[in-house]
Amino acid sequence: MRRLGTWIPLVGLILGAPLDAMAEIQLGGYKLEGDIEVGSRYYIEEPSKSRKTKFEEYRDMTPGVVLDSLHLRFFSPDESYSAELYGSKWGYEDQNFGLTAERLGLWQFYFEWDQTPKVYSTNSRMLSTETDRGVFRLPTPRPPLFRHNSAPEIDEISTRWDTAKLGFGYSITPDMEVNAEYTRIHKDGDKPFSLAFGGPGGNFLEVLEPVDQTIHDFRLKFSLARENYQIQIGYGLSVFKNEFDRVIADNPCFANAAACGGTDGGAAAPRFGQISLPPDNVAHSFNIAAGVNLPMRTRLTANINYSLRLQNDDFLPHTVNPALAANPDLRLPQDSLNGNVQTVLVNLMATTRPLPKLTLSAKYRYYDMFDVSDVITFNKTVQNDRSITSEARRAGRWDYSKQNAEVGARYQLLPSVTVGTAVGWERWDRNFHREVEDSDEFFAKASVDVTPFDWLLVRGSYRPAFRRIAAYNSRAHSQHTVDEDATAAAQGQSILLRKFDEGERNEQRFDLQVQVTPFDGLSLTPTGSYRYDDYINSRLGLQEETSYSLGMDVTWNPHERVSFSAGYMHEHIDQKMRSRSRPVTGTTTFDFKDFEWVSSIIDSYDTFYAGLKVAIIPRVLEWSSGVNFAYSLGRLNTNNPVTPASGTAAQDASATAQSFPATEDRLIRLDASLRYHFWKQWTATLGYAFESFRKNDWHTDGLRPFMPGITSIWLGDDDRNYTAHIVGLRLGYRF
Amino acid sequence: MPGTLWKVVGLVSILLLVPLVGPAQQPPSTPPPAAPAPVPPGIIPPGLPAGYVGAETCKLCHDEQYRKFETTKMGRLFLKHPRNMVERLGCENCHGPGQKHFEAGGGKGIGGMITFAKNDPTPVAVRNDKCTSCHNRGPHMFWKGSPHEARDVACTSCHRLMEHTGHAQLAKGNEIETCGTCHLEKRAAQMRSSHMPLREGKMKCTSCHNPHGTVTPALLKEPSLNDTCFTCHAEKRGPFLWVHAPVNESCANCHDPHGSNHQAMLKMPKPRLCQQCHIESRHPTNPYGRNTGSLKFVLGRSCSSCHVNIHGSNHPSGFAFTR
Repeated sequence: MRRLGTWIPLVGLILGAPLDAMAEIQLGGYKLEGDIEVGSRYYIEEPSKSRKTKFEEYRDMTPGVVLDSLHLRFFSPDESYSAELYGSKWGYEDQNFGLTAERLGLWQFYFEWDQTPKVYSTNSRMLSTETDRGVFRLPTPRPPLFRHNSAPEIDEISTRWDTAKLGFGYSITPDMEVNAEYTRIHKDGDKPFSLAFGGPGGNFLEVLEPVDQTIHDFRLKFSLARENYQIQIGYGLSVFKNEFDRVIADNPCFANAAACGGTDGGAAAPRFGQISLPPDNVAHSFNIAAGVNLPMRTRLTANINYSLRLQNDDFLPHTVNPALAANPDLRLPQDSLNGNVQTVLVNLMATTRPLPKLTLSAKYRYYDMFDVSDVITFNKTVQNDRSITSEARRAGRWDYSKQNAEVGARYQLLPSVTVGTAVGWERWDRNFHREVEDSDEFFAKASVDVTPFDWLLVRGSYRPAFRRIAAYNSRAHSQHTVDEDATAAAQGQSILLRKFDEGERNEQRFDLQVQVTPFDGLSLTPTGSYRYDDYINSRLGLQEETSYSLGMDVTWNPHERVSFSAGYMHEHIDQKMRSRSRPVTGTTTFDFKDFEWVSSIIDSYDTFYAGLKVAIIPRVLEWSSGVNFAYSLGRLNTNNPVTPASGTAAQDASATAQSFPATEDRLIRLDASLRYHFWKQWTATLGYAFESFRKNDWHTDGLRPFMPGITSIWLGDDDRNYTAHIVGLRLGYRF
Repeated sequence: MPGTLWKVVGLVSILLLVPLVGPAQQPPSTPPPAAPAPVPPGIIPPGLPAGYVGAETCKLCHDEQYRKFETTKMGRLFLKHPRNMVERLGCENCHGPGQKHFEAGGGKGIGGMITFAKNDPTPVAVRNDKCTSCHNRGPHMFWKGSPHEARDVACTSCHRLMEHTGHAQLAKGNEIETCGTCHLEKRAAQMRSSHMPLREGKMKCTSCHNPHGTVTPALLKEPSLNDTCFTCHAEKRGPFLWVHAPVNESCANCHDPHGSNHQAMLKMPKPRLCQQCHIESRHPTNPYGRNTGSLKFVLGRSCSSCHVNIHGSNHPSGFAFTR
């Protein structure tokens, strides 16, 4: 089709001449208007297949002819009835299209279809053979590990999401509406995946996860909206189906002590392993909301939402290792979880304007998540299909509730100055499984909006917050999941750790934005923000986080035929954490103070964009161009405050910190096009695009399936650099 | 490539020759504005409240605006198919009663009309009330008290009503540029290497957020942040046999949904991400480096190479999320 389609623009051009004489298209009493654009894309330089991972991450850039866009609108002469068909990139992997029909002010029907590819890798290798979806086999006896480097290449590891949406809305009266919507998301393909076979810290093998998942989402809503009050009732049903419940893969180290050593390749190494995939689940959601307008410009709103999440897929067995499977301690106490999680959300809000210049508001939000799934205790479990653990384990359920409250006021001090202030509170109540059962965070807000002149707007805000806890129980998780003994307690979580999502914290936030429009056609928007989180009383764990951003946006229309926009943003995030290497010998855990290490994780981003549009000859010849540049730098600096020396040589070495090389990536995209209007309804567009991606990331640069000295096997995937030069020609017709 | 290039050159040449053979393209001329005239008899629809003159009267002077407004959905409803008296008011439903404005001969600021322009002296809250008198249901129900309303952001800051501008009548044609006018940081974040497909046009800001106000922080559409993520990532919803607590409470404990320069939009590279909270004993606690013994813990997917089911596991032996 694409070869023949090369001539479509020319044929259309010839046929188009007589169509120019048509002022309006009539079809059986309805009118038709629309536009169609057919384009062709050719590469001057095309990235090779192995370099297309990032280039085609979410799009299909196949060269050739493409129906770029099609938009048709049918409508009755009085415009009371209309239907629209629209879409883009028809026939491509990332195509989308839709159909709507409506009776103006009475009902509306819509259908949408979208395809979104997601490419994970175009340069992986895998020696395992997928004998069935999700089953990966290696030859017996196992080949030397270095053979994985000459494994066949995998053409592409990718999934495609196909989303279909169907909806109907009906206005029973102008005040009363009912809406129904069904969305189906189907995901198909493969994703990088892996299985562990060794003990903790042992070997693993990367394979593929088969993806064939469907989400059915159905929503029904009724709303009644009168001038002074509104009511809304809704129901939602979401069903998740996974056609695959497991992955099985052969262990490359099975009976392979020569390659993997006595630990990973010894007698205990399982022949193969089995891992579970996400189970099917269902969620119901019920919602009722109401709002009422009262005197003094007062509005009260209330919302209650209840949801029920269910999951009851049959468990897989503990292990597929025949040497272990027969152990009576591994008998499952029940076949499935009877998973049942319920959430309740109550939200209340009130705003009032008792005086023309004063607005008061109050909000309260309560969110409760309670897990009433079965609490199951397993006498024994199996580690990576390799060995049976000695302790019993209980799969606890994790409940929490969260409350938020805030009261605020805004006052217009002067016609050009408005100040706002608020105080608020957030409380978490967690069950006994988490280290902090309750925490309270108090915050204040101050804001000011100043418009001293028509051309100047300044918005600033400041928000300090303080989170405090009553107690931190480091043993909480293990106390309720493992039959604890002294050994387990000693090897559990360091009592010096404070997890960042639970521990005490002081936070400061500043935001500032200025909009300057010195004259019509020019707008400048400098903006900045600063945030500092200090995790106080955290001897170990995240210590502090500092981030700031500075940016500017400019929009300039010096002439009605010229528009220019540009912007720049710099963002900086600095996170500091402190940890301690805790080796174990026998049943003794060593807590040497000199085994501590400190890490600074610093990420910075620089983003620049600019665009120019010029009507060279108004409504005849237009120029459009744009550039986007994004650069990120990630640094990970780690050091020991004190040189480790308290352990054995091996323990000292394990505790010794090293900084990692910085990672960076850079994306440049340049677009330019010249659009020519002719014969009133036709357009021809000549375009050029340049795109370049560069990355230095030691995590994946040079990563091969087999790395010398390591018994684990990767896919060896890497987001490689690419450069692309693309030219395109589009022909459009509007009627 | 050369053959392709010649095809392109040939086609461009043909197109450039078209104006020599096609109808001449004349730039349109703008007629001078008509002088105000007395309201012709019968032009004011019967039954309008006192002080209102009807849309056809407005059209006498504001013909261009009328014709552009006619092409919008609201315009078609108000001007051609009003369902009730409010909609029958047409232009004056939003701009206010026009009789004084018309009798004074029109002009900016005359007659107390609401212009919705940037320099309109009408308070933003009053202008917004005009919109919310009808748009007070569905996604607009929680506008009052929402972050944008509380900072006096006008509806017309983001929307253009007087002519058809495409999806949601946005001021800047698409959501990224409209929201990015103020949220420059979020606009820039879509360019990060690990990102959701916003810049590819497959998602929009409103895929997750409702800028008109919601019951959830950060203007998220669903009752919680996790519920918003589960709309598309339902495989993470569970409930699972073995629960990873920070996942249960908030996906944003580990991920930055607007994008990052780390795998899977993580806020920090692994293993450091995990080591923030895991200081038990043995291998989770070591700082690692680039020596051979460290590589399997830091290269590729790092901790997730073994702890694959990190969002939760339904396997009886999945307590460490390795099964």
